[in-house]
Parts: sequence; C-alpha cells; structure tokens
Amino acid sequence: MLEDKVLIWKFKSGSSDALCRIYEKYKKDLLRLAAILSNNACDAEDIVHDVFVSFAQSTETLKLSGNLKSYLLTCVANRARNKNRANQCRQTVGLDEAQPVVSQSKTPEQWMIHSEELRRWSDIMAQLPYEQRETVILHLRAGMKFRQIAKSQGVSVNTVKGRYRYGLTKLRSILNGEMEK
Amino acid sequence: MKSAENIKKVIKNLDLEIDTNTEKDRIILSELLEAQEKSRKTNSAFAAPNIRRQIMKSPLTKIAIAAVVTIACVIGLSLWRTTGSGIALADVLARVEQVKAFRFHWNVKITGEDPNKPYSSEERGTILTSQEYGRKGKIEQLDPNGGESTSTEVYTFPDKKTKIGITPKQKKYWRVEFDDVTAERLWQMNDPRTYLKKILACKYESLGRSTIDGVEVEGFQTTDPYFFLIGGGIQIDAKVWVDVKTRLPVRYDFTWPNFDQMGTKIINRGHIVMHDFQWDVPVDAAEFEPVIPDDYTGTVVKYPAHITEETNIQGLKVLVELLGKYPDPEIIANYTNVAPTVLLSALEKSETPAAMRLKEEIKGLTDDEISNKLVDFLMPIRGLGRFCDMLAQDGKDPAYYGNTVTPKDADKVLLRWKVSDNDYRVIYGDLHAETVTPEKLAELEKALLK
Repeated sequence: MLEDKVLIWKFKSGSSDALCRIYEKYKKDLLRLAAILSNNACDAEDIVHDVFVSFAQSTETLKLSGNLKSYLLTCVANRARNKNRANQCRQTVGLDEAQPVVSQSKTPEQWMIHSEELRRWSDIMAQLPYEQRETVILHLRAGMKFRQIAKSQGVSVNTVKGRYRYGLTKLRSILNGEMEK
Repeated sequence: MKSAENIKKVIKNLDLEIDTNTEKDRIILSELLEAQEKSRKTNSAFAAPNIRRQIMKSPLTKIAIAAVVTIACVIGLSLWRTTGSGIALADVLARVEQVKAFRFHWNVKITGEDPNKPYSSEERGTILTSQEYGRKGKIEQLDPNGGESTSTEVYTFPDKKTKIGITPKQKKYWRVEFDDVTAERLWQMNDPRTYLKKILACKYESLGRSTIDGVEVEGFQTTDPYFFLIGGGIQIDAKVWVDVKTRLPVRYDFTWPNFDQMGTKIINRGHIVMHDFQWDVPVDAAEFEPVIPDDYTGTVVKYPAHITEETNIQGLKVLVELLGKYPDPEIIANYTNVAPTVLLSALEKSETPAAMRLKEEIKGLTDDEISNKLVDFLMPIRGLGRFCDMLAQDGKDPAYYGNTVTPKDADKVLLRWKVSDNDYRVIYGDLHAETVTPEKLAELEKALLK
C-alpha cells in the first residue's frame, strides 16, 4: 500500500508522526494475532509491546522492501514462538492457572480490550499444537504464503503444508464437536 | 458438519473485535517515541537512512534535495542575526534576491573511501540563471578512467514547467513536462538563494574573515543534520563565503558522507563546490533557446499540468482501458522512476482492445519511438503518484488499493485521502467519488480486508 511506503520512508527519516501512525494503524492486528497465538493476555501484550519497541529502535537500520503489515505480523509470530518455547521450558504454570485471554473487566494496567468472540477463538485455537495454530492463523488470517511461513519457522514448505492440513482437520473436529454439543 | 472449506472461510472472515486502553496507548507511544529518539541519537554518527542513499546516487539530485527548501522554516526565525563581524546572512539573501541574472561554476565529486578500490566520479558545469528567461546549464560528466567526457545542456523553464536536456555526443534529447508544484521546486534547484535560505533556517556560525582569489570574504558554516530536508541526520558540512564588500556569495562548499546498505560504514564522500559567481550579468533571450538538430532523437516525459482529483480519475480511466485493471501500488509509489518498460511489461498481459491496438502500433518501432508512444499512458501513473506524494507530505493520509480493487468494484475504496478532520474523499473502483466520514471509511476499508 502506498501509504505504508510513505510511512516507512518517513519513519526511516526519523519521523515520530510516522511511528505514531504505524502504531495506531497496526496495533490491533498485532494484538489480535498475539492473543490467538499465545492465548494469554499478558503474553500477547508483552509480545506486541516488544515488537513495537524493537521497531521504534530500528529507524536507521530497518531494511524493509516488502509489506509493512506482513513484516510486523512476522515479528509478532517470531516472538510468540519464542515465548511459547520459553513457557514450555519453564512449565511453571499449569493449564488452570494460565490467565485467560479475556478478562471481563478493564483494569488500568490492561492494554488490550477484547471481545467474547476473540476469547472463544483463542480458546479454540489453543487446542491445536502450537506449530499448527501458528500456521493456520498466519495463512488464513495474516494472508501469508506457505513459503513465507516456512521461512519464518525455519522448516520446509511441505512441513508447513502438513501442519496446515493437520491443523484444519483438528479444527474441523473441534468445531463439529462444538456444534454437536 | 463444517467442511474444511467452511472452516477456512470462517477463520478468514472472523470479526475478532479488539480495542485498546487509551491511557496505556499513550504510555506505550511515549515509550516508543523515546526509544526512537534514543536510537537516532545513538546511530546518527554512523547510520543514514536508505532513502538518502538512494537520493544521493545522483549528483543532480543532491542539489535537488538541498533545494527542496521549506521557506516557511525560515519564517518566524530571527533572520537578521549578525555574527559579530558585521555581515548578516539575511542581508546577503536580500541582496541576492534582487539580482536579475547570475552565472556560476559548480563541481560535484564523489570520492571512494576504500584505498584498495579507488573510485571517483565527477561532474562540473556552468549554470546561468535569469529571472526572466529561465535557467541554462552545461554539465560535463567526467570519465573516472580518463576517457571521453559526456556533456549535456540542460534548460529549465519555470513558466512553461519544462526541462530539456540535450546530449550532443549521443545525438539525443529529452524533455520533461512537469506539474506546477514540481516545476516550482525544480526552479529552486541549483539556486544559491535556496542554499542561503536553508543555512538561515539551520543553526549556523561565522567562520570569520578570509581571502578567496584576492577577495576578502566572511565564511558561514552549518553542520545541522537537517540542512538536507529529506533524510535528516546526514552529516553535512555546508559553508558559504560572502564578499564583505558586495555582501554577495563568492563560494559554497558542501561535503557529506555516503554510507553502505547497512548504514554503518562510509563508502564514499560527496563534495559540491559552487564558485566563480558573476552577479547581475547581462543576458540575451536567445541564450535560453535550446537548439535541437533535426537528426537528434528524443524522449518526452509528461506529468499532468495540474494534478487534481479529476485528472486522476481521467488518468485511471485511460489506464483501465489499456491494462484492464488498475496499476499496482508499487508502480504508483515509484512513479518518479517509472519507465516505459514497466508499462510494456503490464501491456504484455493485457488483451483489452486498447492494448491490442497499441501493441500493433508499436511493432517495429525503435526504443525511443516506443517511449514516446507510451508518454500519454505513463503520464497518469506519474500524476497519481505525485498526487499521493503531495497528499502524504501534507499529512492527508492517502491510501491506494489498486492491487485489490477492480473497475467493477463500485463500493470498494480505490483511493482515499483526508480532506478535513471529519471527512475523507474516496474514489471508488468504478471511479465515482464521494466524501465520507472517517467511520464510514473504516467500514469501507474493513470490507476491503474481507
């Protein structure tokens, strides 16, 4: 999009207005992705916050010839993956203790205010293995190609396609199960 | 039962509402701006934005960049500041602005930093500027290997919004017809008045008295990173030397480093010198009439004379008739460099009646002839790109969706921009236009994502 080209150009020239506009324009998309990938409100906010801080610090080093939105979404996916690995390693939080993605009331510290629908889908997606969840969401919601996802995950395209297929099958089973209830 | 296809559709079209806490937004934004500022301060000694590197590739553009001066910056500043030695730079500017015609020599040299890979390129020329007739420059590009140089005569006519270049060695010429805004900016190029205004708008200091070619002068220097308006952060060293008797400039010196792609290592340094000024020289109208011999071939580049919503709609109609679709945003964003080959490539894939006619017409033509044949089709691309650029510069939030919207999409936003805090102007896929509220625009653009 032309606006993004101009924004990147201005941002790289040191424009704070461009940074504000990029933040306003993409914060919700990034939070939405982080929320579904992490299924944890605090983690999602941390991930997006960190992505924006790194981005803000890249004024003079950013090399971006492609799509700004895809770039930021990939950054979120990468950080979410790292966070997920770190959480798996620690294994200090049990499933029941995990903070739900939605809290019903808004607290002053809370950044993200999400809908019931987002909470429901985060819970549904959380039933998928992480790699499948990431692949399905990046492909269907972020519009990323399998090739791009493969590059981002450091695996082959066939592996990504497999994860996507298994993910959809599992989702189908979850959703049809929900309907039958 | 939901099929896999249904599930894909459901996930794609999910309306996952989300909002953010305004107070937290404010805190985070403030943190981000601080991070950006810190990063700029830390990196400024080494890094430089890519856009500047791109722009700095052309020595002519170097001048152009420096010439893109917002005179408004000057307004409101304390102009009549003397430096203690008696000369006020604003007084110099006032005198220069009274001059009807002047001539000077200029030299641009790029010198490589790597001693193992000696590299340099050089251009030099003479520029004659007349308030009445326009500007004429003779630019010589020197071969760094000592070979034959290439000379080009360049004429700029602000009233006709035209620039013409003639290269005798190649028996070629080019003519660019600009829109009014660009023409005005072009006129500011290569103009010592522009540089004086720029120095005045920056933080500068006196270098004291000296002598150049037997003339007593006083020097002024700025190292303000915003001397070049585009690509702030450049480590420029700009000096102007003023004759203490006439209060007119005698010499300008600008030096700056160019960085590698990573922005961490200096690869070469640029040096522009403007010297041998002759102020208030007599000029003859005939000097400003380009002579193009009959056997020269040439190309023409056109921008719409006035770029408006209507000219853009008309231009888009022409492009759709030719290409069957709207041009890609990438092409529009790079409108200054859009070449006939880009259009030819799109034309190859089009089978509209207009495309078939044009393909037939250009069969067997030379490259120059094809370029000229495509002028009218490239003009709306340049016009639209320029339009979006101007809107962006004015903070009017333009967006163009030529990659997803088709001529049949009467309800989809093809191009939009802000006209006031409460209104956006929208051109739809079928090229009708209307003014909408930001809320309505948000709905329209949401539909685009689906």
